Amino acid sequence: MTAWLRGIGLVVAVAGAVAITQASVLPMKLNPSDAAILRLAWMARPERVEDCRTQTEEQMANLPAHMRQSVICDGTTAAYRLEVQYQHQVIAEQIVRGGGLRHDRPLYVSRAIELPAGDAVIAVKFVRIDSQKPNPVSEHERSDGAGGEALEAGRQAAAMDADRRRREGEERLHSREEAVPAVLVLERGLRLASRQVTLVTYDSQRRELVVVDGAPR
Amino acid sequence: MRALERLALRLLAATDAAANRLYGARWNPLYQSGTIVVALYLTIVVTGLWLLLFYRVAAPWESVAGVTANLWIGNWVRGLHRYSSDAAVLATIVHAFRMFAQGRSWGARMLAWVSGALLLALLFVCGWTGYVMVWDTFGEHLAREGARMLDVLPVLSEPISRQFTGERPMPSVFFFVNLFAHIGIPLGMGVVFWLHIKRLERPVLLPPRGLMWAALASLSIVAVARPLAMAPQANAFVVPGVIPSDLFFAFWIPIVRRLNAGTALSVMTGLAIALLVVPALTARRGVKRPAPSTVDQEICTGCLQCSLDCPYGAIQMIKRTDNRPTLVASVDPSLCVSCGICAGSCAPMGVGPPGRTGRDQIAQVHAFLAEPRRRAGQIVAICCEHGAGAYRSAIADHGAALYTVDCAGNLHTTVIELLLRAGAGGVLVLACQARDCRSREGPRWLVERLYDGREAELQARVDRRRVQVVHVAAGERQLAISAQRAFANGIPTLPRVATEPSGDLHSACEPVTTGGQS
Repeated sequence: MTAWLRGIGLVVAVAGAVAITQASVLPMKLNPSDAAILRLAWMARPERVEDCRTQTEEQMANLPAHMRQSVICDGTTAAYRLEVQYQHQVIAEQIVRGGGLRHDRPLYVSRAIELPAGDAVIAVKFVRIDSQKPNPVSEHERSDGAGGEALEAGRQAAAMDADRRRREGEERLHSREEAVPAVLVLERGLRLASRQVTLVTYDSQRRELVVVDGAPR
Repeated sequence: MRALERLALRLLAATDAAANRLYGARWNPLYQSGTIVVALYLTIVVTGLWLLLFYRVAAPWESVAGVTANLWIGNWVRGLHRYSSDAAVLATIVHAFRMFAQGRSWGARMLAWVSGALLLALLFVCGWTGYVMVWDTFGEHLAREGARMLDVLPVLSEPISRQFTGERPMPSVFFFVNLFAHIGIPLGMGVVFWLHIKRLERPVLLPPRGLMWAALASLSIVAVARPLAMAPQANAFVVPGVIPSDLFFAFWIPIVRRLNAGTALSVMTGLAIALLVVPALTARRGVKRPAPSTVDQEICTGCLQCSLDCPYGAIQMIKRTDNRPTLVASVDPSLCVSCGICAGSCAPMGVGPPGRTGRDQIAQVHAFLAEPRRRAGQIVAICCEHGAGAYRSAIADHGAALYTVDCAGNLHTTVIELLLRAGAGGVLVLACQARDCRSREGPRWLVERLYDGREAELQARVDRRRVQVVHVAAGERQLAISAQRAFANGIPTLPRVATEPSGDLHSACEPVTTGGQS
């Protein structure tokens, strides 16, 4: 191998190493536009759409002790329509259902919409679209508070521990109250900054949509 | 697929030849691509362990920024870690390309191919988790794109993307799981690597020391010369226009980010599947796998040499079923790649793939010698069809009688002796470069059989001045022809030898056919 070839070999090796470092820190253009981003992101528990029936004492007696529930509810979860308006024009629509193959998990909203930077009126509507038939059991629960003493099932299942019946009723009521309200509407004038994200999310404590425009990492 | 393979082989031959000219065959990084990956992997592990000492899951970006700010050690180690990872991706792709071009991806080599593809996939995942660890804008973008695709699968009750929306601060557990994956995956790669080389005897794990240190030194120098800078910290509420990215690990992002998540996932999965099914696509039509070697138990003397030479550990010595006191060779067809090395290693010519045993070779030499075109004193060039076979006509045009073999390592030394005794002026063996042999160790064993007395050796009575081995690659036509000229020019200066009639030759070189030791 001549010195000339050795020199070329060295140059090629150096060029290769430099090429690796160059390719390793190559800038990537992500968002060429200066648009603002409206991000809709929240998790909520969808309302249950269900048929409830009370079990007779005889039916419960056929079940193992730990499976004796006075009220059995079958059903699914409600679907919701998400609608986003920008300057009073609908710019996005979506049907949102509960997660999981049976849609029995919490629902997740995750959407990013590019909008021109500047002042804007934004409206976000999240409305239940499944019809919910009145549930006689839940009506009883509401009228009796969390007690459940008035339930027909409770009377029939005299052998059942009263404390347990109360807990069952409380659980059903609690899960119903945890569910996202049937109608959520946020309409607000916002200043959308270029390359900034404005987040619309659901506050489960206040049970309403809120706007977050920065802060948590 | 065959057309693609041929095209790839032409490209490989040209680049191999160029690299041989610049670095010599021993230091040719293209020949050493696999071992270079191992050296880089070890570098990545060592530097990674050092970096781990300073990493905090509660403050990922800040802790990495602290390391990076230390220009003398921290930045250099981090740079070496990163550039080694990049170089490992490059070397792995070169290695895979080489195997594909040379048709070494199917049949008995399928396990090596599939495990290699898996290693590449793990290398990518390991790199991605490494970048996510930093939690800068690039790491965040990688995480977002990955989560976007994974969320299409209906397996997780909560979408991963939700972590990155800004609804809540990034939980430390996310970085802990990511760190766990970044450490665990390389351990898993060790297991897959074991599978990758499992079928090889005497696997070469590291490149020549000089090449290894040269590669690490050059990466170290660029790590110092071009110190890494920290990208801005990830922020869910800021949309960066440009982010620093690593082409080796993020080449796919510009493509898939324009696609919806389902299509992007399909594209990525499709690429992975395409890589895994290469063995099925490259398998020769109508050939399930090359016929494995067979052993003629009557001829086998139990000398062990074939089992020592086999590059794939496919030959075991077992007890004989007859009354002879020796062991007998037994080929495991599931391990045999039909390389034919055993044919060259068996002095009594009792083992080898069908049509390529020593006895078959002698029959072929007789047919070759019976050809009327040869001139007295003409040199015979024995070409490996994978190397010098690429320019066989040029060799013939320059005055040599051409004798092609499947691999120079298959060549039984008796063939050379027969050729010389039949009046060949000399025998020039054009073998492949030692690190580029399809049969792994063919050129090495050939040289040892000719010059170092390795079993099935060239007999002492053969004039070594009339035998020469030259290592040339498929793209080194000029080198081969120059060597041929030089060899041919030296032959007339040697004393003349009497030509033996072919009948005598046959009896002189006839192998032992009963149970004596070779």
